[in-house]
Amino acid sequence: MIYALLLAAYVQIPAGTYTLGEKGHVLNPLRKVTTTGFQISTTELTNTDFEKFVHSTGYVTDAEKYKNAMVFVPGLAEFRWLEDSTASWRYPNGKSRGGIERKMDHPVTTISYHDAEAYCKWAKVRLPSLDEWEIAARGLKTAPGNIWHGRNHLQADTSDGFMYTAPVGSFRPNIIGLYDMFGNVFEFCSGALPGDSKQVVHARGGSWWCSKNACKFFNATDIGRVNRRASFSNQGFRVVKI
Amino acid sequence: MKFYLLMAVLFCSLQVFAQEGASKESLAYHEYRTKVSVPPYELAKIKKLVAGLKTVYEENDEGHEKMPSNTYNSLSLREKFTYNMIHAEDFSQNCDVFFMQDEHKKIFGHLPDIFGESNWSDRQYNFFKENRDSVMALIKESVLRSKRMGANYKHAIVEINGWEMIPFLISTYNADRKDHDILTVLMLLMEKNKYPAFITSASYTKLYSEQAAYDGYIELNKPNQDLILERADKFYKSKK
Repeated sequence: MIYALLLAAYVQIPAGTYTLGEKGHVLNPLRKVTTTGFQISTTELTNTDFEKFVHSTGYVTDAEKYKNAMVFVPGLAEFRWLEDSTASWRYPNGKSRGGIERKMDHPVTTISYHDAEAYCKWAKVRLPSLDEWEIAARGLKTAPGNIWHGRNHLQADTSDGFMYTAPVGSFRPNIIGLYDMFGNVFEFCSGALPGDSKQVVHARGGSWWCSKNACKFFNATDIGRVNRRASFSNQGFRVVKI
Repeated sequence: MKFYLLMAVLFCSLQVFAQEGASKESLAYHEYRTKVSVPPYELAKIKKLVAGLKTVYEENDEGHEKMPSNTYNSLSLREKFTYNMIHAEDFSQNCDVFFMQDEHKKIFGHLPDIFGESNWSDRQYNFFKENRDSVMALIKESVLRSKRMGANYKHAIVEINGWEMIPFLISTYNADRKDHDILTVLMLLMEKNKYPAFITSASYTKLYSEQAAYDGYIELNKPNQDLILERADKFYKSKK
């Protein structure tokens, strides 16, 4: 069932002071954070949304320009990805694995942080900060949605119905109505961690690639990292209203 | 350039994390185990080539540099070895799996990430595999000279399934018994080759079985150290 179609596009996160992080977590220590409140999108940005941006602006993504998208195929060792010059948001897993024609309600992927920023500028929205994303995600006993249930990545796993992305809203939302906070695609966030180079950006919430044995990042605590120009087929974003 | 940047980032990160509760010993060991070896072969030339790789992206963005094919193909075997060991060409993603407390008290089932948001490309992995014997010889030569086996060398040994290096790995470890990731390499080689005495062991169950996590570890103590060394030695002799 596509739950998301029944709901509003944004959820209001109330002003307040929230407890974030985890005791002893080296990247995300336990602390209090105050927000004046913000509105965050109910779902990850879809291919339909991104296509409107591209049609309107003629924007060409990093992966289309530089032919350096990273894709996954079953059989690769853990944490190994393949560079595929044919992959882009239109062909998230490379041309040979098909386009997005029947996946317009899936999250847009195979875009870089740089591309996500360009979308936000055009749509007059912004990425959530690392803290805002966590406020929206944590404290909620949400089961992860679309993740990798197999032991490793040597064999394809479609046990939850999807090997790659799922249509947004395919799984039950969290208690405040946000879909796919954990799983489906990693979501770019703004902000840096101490020691970051200017090329490093962060994404949170895990993806269809993440398994409990390998990258267990389908949670509210862990923080992933990637080069701002890298385009992975499990990397997307959701937005916050300005 | 990217290599030096990585080192700078790692240093800054350690300064910050030191304030967050991880012990000095743990942080020091993290720094020690994530150091890469810098091969001496035509190093000056390779460093110059790496520094000269043009920025790919606009807006003063450093981008992700990759050596053009014609330049890469013109390098000698030793030069390619040096280049590959200090400059990973592809993007890497997402997980900071190996940054935990008390690292110095653990023998891990897998090696730590070495290049941050970069990883070796297909052509780099292929180089290691296609030149397996030479790669093992160069690693050995380099380690004997520097008395140190960097994280990049360990990854390469696992990648090429360099079981022939087991006696060398054991002697390198026994020199000071400080680099416990050498034990990890030994276990990964036994796991990769499905050595029966290892895959039926409690260590295997904990580190590589269905329920094992990628960041799994066993306690660092003398019995565990000795057991891994002894098993690896027997495995090597069984292969010869």
